[in-house]
Formats: sequence, C-alpha cells, structure tokens
Amino acid sequence: MAEAEERNAVDSGSAWTDELLSPSELFSVRTRDHKIPTRGQKEFLYDGSEEQVERLQWSLGEHWKLLSEERAERQGSLVKAEWKPEDVTVELKTPAGKFWQTMGYADEGKQFLQPEEALFLMECGSVEVFYRDLPLSIQEGYELLLGDKTISLLEYLVFSHLKRLGYIVNRFDSSAVPSVYERRLNLVHKREKQSKQQRKRKRSASARRSDDISEGQPDSQDVQNRREKAGDDVFMEGTSSDSQKAVGMNYFSSSAISSEDVCHELPSNSEQKRPDWWEKKSEEAPSPGRPVYFKQSAGKRDLNKVLFPNLGRDCLHTNLEIPNACLLPSNVTAKACNISSWREKLNMRQMRLTRREREELEKKNKYKRGVNEDKEVRACKNWQEYKQLLERRSQSSSEQRPAHLWNDAVCPLVTPGQVSSTGDLLQQISIMQASHLVDDAVGLVADTCDKRITFDVYQADTAFDFKKSDPGKPYSRISVCSFEDPVPSLHTLKRLAQQSGDVPVTFAVVDNGDISFYSFKDFWLPTDVWQ
Amino acid sequence: MQQPSEEPERNSECSAGTSGESTAVRQHESTPGGGVEPKEPLIQLYLADSVPLLWRSAHVKLARERLGVVGAAVGSLARQPRQNCRLSRPVQLLWEEARFLLENGRAELVKALKPQNYEQEIQSYAHYLERNHEEQQTFALEEKKQVLKRVMEDKCKDGASAPSSIQSVKGSLDSLESSFKFPCSAVMVQLCTARARFSYTPEERLWLSAELANPVDERQKVRYRVFSDLREKGYYLTSAGKFGGDYLVYPGDPLRFHAHFIAVCVPLDKETPFSDYLSLSRLGSNVKKTILLCSPSQTDANYVHYTSIQWSGMV
Repeated sequence: MAEAEERNAVDSGSAWTDELLSPSELFSVRTRDHKIPTRGQKEFLYDGSEEQVERLQWSLGEHWKLLSEERAERQGSLVKAEWKPEDVTVELKTPAGKFWQTMGYADEGKQFLQPEEALFLMECGSVEVFYRDLPLSIQEGYELLLGDKTISLLEYLVFSHLKRLGYIVNRFDSSAVPSVYERRLNLVHKREKQSKQQRKRKRSASARRSDDISEGQPDSQDVQNRREKAGDDVFMEGTSSDSQKAVGMNYFSSSAISSEDVCHELPSNSEQKRPDWWEKKSEEAPSPGRPVYFKQSAGKRDLNKVLFPNLGRDCLHTNLEIPNACLLPSNVTAKACNISSWREKLNMRQMRLTRREREELEKKNKYKRGVNEDKEVRACKNWQEYKQLLERRSQSSSEQRPAHLWNDAVCPLVTPGQVSSTGDLLQQISIMQASHLVDDAVGLVADTCDKRITFDVYQADTAFDFKKSDPGKPYSRISVCSFEDPVPSLHTLKRLAQQSGDVPVTFAVVDNGDISFYSFKDFWLPTDVWQ
Repeated sequence: MQQPSEEPERNSECSAGTSGESTAVRQHESTPGGGVEPKEPLIQLYLADSVPLLWRSAHVKLARERLGVVGAAVGSLARQPRQNCRLSRPVQLLWEEARFLLENGRAELVKALKPQNYEQEIQSYAHYLERNHEEQQTFALEEKKQVLKRVMEDKCKDGASAPSSIQSVKGSLDSLESSFKFPCSAVMVQLCTARARFSYTPEERLWLSAELANPVDERQKVRYRVFSDLREKGYYLTSAGKFGGDYLVYPGDPLRFHAHFIAVCVPLDKETPFSDYLSLSRLGSNVKKTILLCSPSQTDANYVHYTSIQWSGMV
C-alpha cells in the first residue's frame, strides 16, 4: 500500500503511467490477496452520522482497491498469441493451456482462438495477445477484437458473463443444426460424425453440404446424397433397435420404398463390374457376424456397395425366386437369390417379451386389423386388382349414405371412416388450428428484424468430458438483445426457434451491464380428449 | 456530494491539436506551472459500439466521488476473474451519465489513433522487458537471501542442529550470488487494463459526437432532464431495467445504500392508461420501493414534476 501511495504522489498527473506497475510492484503481486471482501448489509437512510460516513469510506476504499488492481502474471503461465485482423482470428504462439479443452480450434496444425475467446482469456490473465509485436491492453482488446467482423460489445458482455459462470459457450453455427428433414429421418448421428471430420478445417466449410440438403436442389449429386442418407438411416435404425425386432421387424418392408429407390440405380452403374449383394462371397465381409453395410455407414458411402438384404425373421425360404414382375414397379428389375448365408449372420433368436410388454402389445393391436386378414384382399392377384377393390368399397359406402343428409349443399362435416379417434374428430372439426413455435410462420408479417442466435451454451458440469469435436446438443442457444429493443415479434421468435431446432432459444437482455435471461416457451392447451 | 458547477474552460484546450504529437503528453496535464491548485484531469470517455466506457480507475473514481456518476462495471475482476459478483473495469455508463459528464465539462470523448512508430515502440518494449527481468531478479535474489539468513539464524539459535548443516546453509548463502538463476518464465509481467506504455498512442479528442451531444428522440430528452435534475438534488442513479423503470434512485452511494425509488420518466402530455400505473405501483410495493413518476415541466426548463403512487385504504 505504501508503495502505491508513493507512486501516486510521484506521477499522479500523468494519464497512463499511474496504472503501470513498477518491477517491485510486479514482484510483490505474487503474494497478493485473492479474496474478495464481503460487502455487508446496505443501509436504508442517509443519516449523516460519523459511523455511516466511515463505513461508506471503508467500502469505497475496498471498491477502489479492487477496481484499480492490475493484472500481473508469471511469464511462464501466460500463453502468447497473436491477433490476425486479416483472418479475424487469434493464433496461439505457445502451447495452449487448460482452456483448450473447451475453447479454440485447430487449423492446419495451428491453434486458434475466436476473438471473443481470446479477449475473455486476456481478462482472466491466461493469454497475452500481441499485435505487431506489442502486447495488447484489455482496452485495445475491446477495441480491436470486438466489432462488425466479430461480435458486438453487447454480445461480448453476455459471452463473458456466461463464461465467468463456467458455461461452455461456442459461436452458433446454423449449418450445424440438423434441418427439419434430417431430424425427421433421424440423421443426427450421421451428422455429428461428419462435423467431427470437418470441424478441424475451417468452421464454415460445413455450410455447403447442409445447404444442399435443406434447400433440396434437384441436382443429381444432392439426390444421391439423400438416398445414401436415407438408406443409411434405415439400417442404422434396423440394427440398433435389436430389442424392437419382434415388434418392428417389418421395418425392412416399410423401408422398401427407399431401398428400391437405391436399388434401381444399381444396375446401370455396376452391371459388369460388381456382383450383386446376394452373390457376394462371405469372405468379403469385413468381420464375421457383422454385415457389410454396417461398416460402410461410417465413411463416405459408395452407392455401389450398399447392400439391402430384405429378410423377415418369419421368412422360411432361403431360396428367393424371381418375384412376379407384375408385383414390382415397372422400372425395377429383380433376380433370384439364395439368402441362406445371410440368415446365418442374422440374430434369429426369439425375442422374449415380458408379460407387461406382451399385454401392451395386445392392447395396441386390439382394434387393429391386418390387411391380410381380409379375404377379399387376399384374393387380389396384383396391385391393380387391389386398387380396384378399394375403389369399389368406397363407392358402395357412399351409395349407402342417406340422400337427405349427403346430397344437399350442407352436409356433415365428417364422413364415416374419415377419422378413427375422438381426438382426430375434434381436430377435423376445429375452426382454429393450434400452432406451435416451430411451425412455419405462414400468414405472419415478415419483419426486417436482424435478430440472430449468437451462441451455443453447454452446461458447466459437462466441462470435464466435453469434446470440442463432438459437443453434442447444446443446453440452450442465446440471442442477445438490448433493453431498448422491442420485444421480438412472433415471426422473429418462430424464425429463431426454427433455426435452433429442438434446443430452446434464450434471450439475453442487456441493460447497462445488467444481464437478464428470458425465454419463450411453447404451450399446449390441455385437451380433455386424448387418443 | 453536490458537484461544483464551475466549468473547466474547454475552449482554451482545443486550440492546439494533440493528435500530431508522438509523445503522450496531455495538454491539461502539462500546464501545472500555472501555480494555482492542480486541476483535476478530464475524464476520458471511450465509445465502443456507441456505448460510453471508462477505462482508467482514476477516472472512474473521479466520476463517482465528485460527480456521483456510478456506471456499471462490466469487465472481469483482476484478482478473481471467474465470478460475476464483483466486476471491474471497464465501467459502462448510461447515455445520460456520459452526457451529464460532458455537459458539466468534466469529461472528454477520446478515440485512439493508430500508433505511428512501431519499430521504436517494439524496441523500447524489448528494453522494458529486459530491465523488468533484471530488477525482478535482484528482488528475487534479495528475498532468497533473507530466507536463507533466517534459516541460518534459526539454526544457530536452536543450537541442536549439527554445525555441518549450518555450514551448508552458509555455503549456499555465499554462493547464492553466482549460482542464483531467475528464469524468464518466473518474471511477472503486467497485462494492462487501460491502454498504456508503448502502445499508448496519441488520442484524438472528439469534440462533437452526434450521439452524445444531442438527444436522439423525445424519450432521451425527458430521461436526461430527469437524470440531471435528480443528480443535482444529490441522488445517485443507476439503471432500473430489471425493475421496469428508468432509474433506481439511491439516497447515497449505491455501494452502501438501498434504492428508495424507481423513477419512471413520463412526459407531461403523454396519456397513459390507468392500468399501467396500477401495474407499476403493484411492482413498486412488491420490491418495497416507491414509484416516482417524473415529468419535466413544459414551461420551466429547470423544473421536474415528481409524483408518487401509493395504495390507499378505504374504511
């Protein structure tokens, strides 16, 4: 303290030297107190008493001491870095510290920090950033590292607030969020694998692929991509859900559309070069007991190698004959094959259900009638006959309707057989449809609001097993607003919610340094009728 | 805590541009030869994204203790950066606070210029590092010596320890001068908060900042009149966004006192639905503060009407 006072006396007038520590002060910093003084109870009235003034002076003294404290660190514990304004990034010059687990990214063997990460680490006394071979002060950091090209001051305040609380905060990358299409097909796993490979490169590199998919341009590359993905997904599901096999073995049949889609491309590409999957020798399988298709799902898929064994567990025939051509779509060709080698590889064990599971299954199927139980349907020889049968039935049912009800301009809202449950019926006759946050903003006035999601936030307690390459699903996503801004419109809310997918969007509202967090939650009105 | 209204003459200072000088000498600091009491330096305001920031602790102190401008600290605390309870520089000011400082002639808006002579600065930085290392080495050496001396004294006093061990301590003390090494990694270096040292560039004063000089809209005009009136009455003000008002009004420094009022700025001619006032007073009674409706007078430029709302009982 004595030294500090002396220093103040010597050059109190100068603008900057009074905040510069002398070598002796720097040396004494190593024994500095790291505790934060407690503030004590506040007072309600200003009574002008001596004690009150004294307490105020003491508090202020503590306050100024804390506020004027300068950062000083051992040179050995500081990571040196350089600000690269042309790339808008900060490159590490010495090996990164512990922060590397949750911050920074590597590119071509070099380590980089995002500008806001570097600035935060400067404030924590972990990193010393140089620009033109001179160290930056925190102030210069705020001036250089924040701005139009990086993030705004407001956003940085939110970032540093969350970082100080221990959260892991990354920039939000809209291309990393699976599109609605991908989510519906449950392509998220695949997605994460890709991003793992791509994150090492520049972050924006992953943008193109996802754009392809979400915009759905009809170029052939894209279509092929989709097919690969669709096929891949089906098998991922089929193999991962072993426990559902008994119930869901019809998976393969339900996936027939997508596999046929892929199949019909096969002949043109691989007629001579490659034998079909069923002719493949078993040695070619990568590991005994594991189907070939499983391994290939990891890397980039070669469409010619995709294999689609469509076997049900109840299929007793190992010699599959050529299917009747009239049962197939016109553009699909088929061959006879022997599937016995495949049968050996499949897990054919009977699925044992517990009593409860069995009961549930029975309950589920109680009111369902398989289409095969219908004798008339079984009598049909091909698709055409079946469709004709359906046509006939619908005609006859409408003929039976009483004319006085159905032939006037005003007729019942619902036709018999149109809905199968009370819930469906209510849905059918409701005038106002409920809308959810992630639904499309149809009919809403588009506003010119430039609100965006800035950060992905991961919870603090995941920090020790957090992987930058595979961060998983964020806890929340943050959009930063000022208190002066109007409340975001429904259109903006929907846009951001859609961008964010199934992760909630939180609005960080900054009011002169104070940050409060708000979020809008979807709400379902309870309905009395369910199912 | 009433601030003195004498205005430091601005005009005499703007005569010569400081921007051309390569050394960092401020004009108002270089004229102590006047003989009268040393003048207080002007508070330097920096704009970041049009948010006024204070960077130097002396300026923050001056603003708070002399002018009652509190602001909000938004930077990490040096001694314990990873917490949000106590924050440090920079201190962010409300638009009204910045304007209040400027109007009272106690602050100047400054902007960094690009430094001009890099080679020289890099050189002097290297020189500084070298000197810093040397000096800290002598301190470290001295500290080590003291420790060894104390150990030796303790041992001598103790009497029980073998003379050989005393001898070995003495030996290491004697050879300390030659054998002592102070590695570069152990040198303490400062991470400056405000711009300083070699990177300290001449700064250009911005005399006219459109944003700060004039209120943008009617709301800002009203807010500023209320702010300056309450401040001149001796109250301390902070932002009251989280209370749904404009300012929190403290009877003394917010460090020691609870806020009494939530000031809500309402222009006199504005028609407000009664339900708004109801919700305001409901909120005020919930947080045990009085809602203060502040309406600047339309006829008298220096007068502000204050109205408070209270639930009243009817028997």
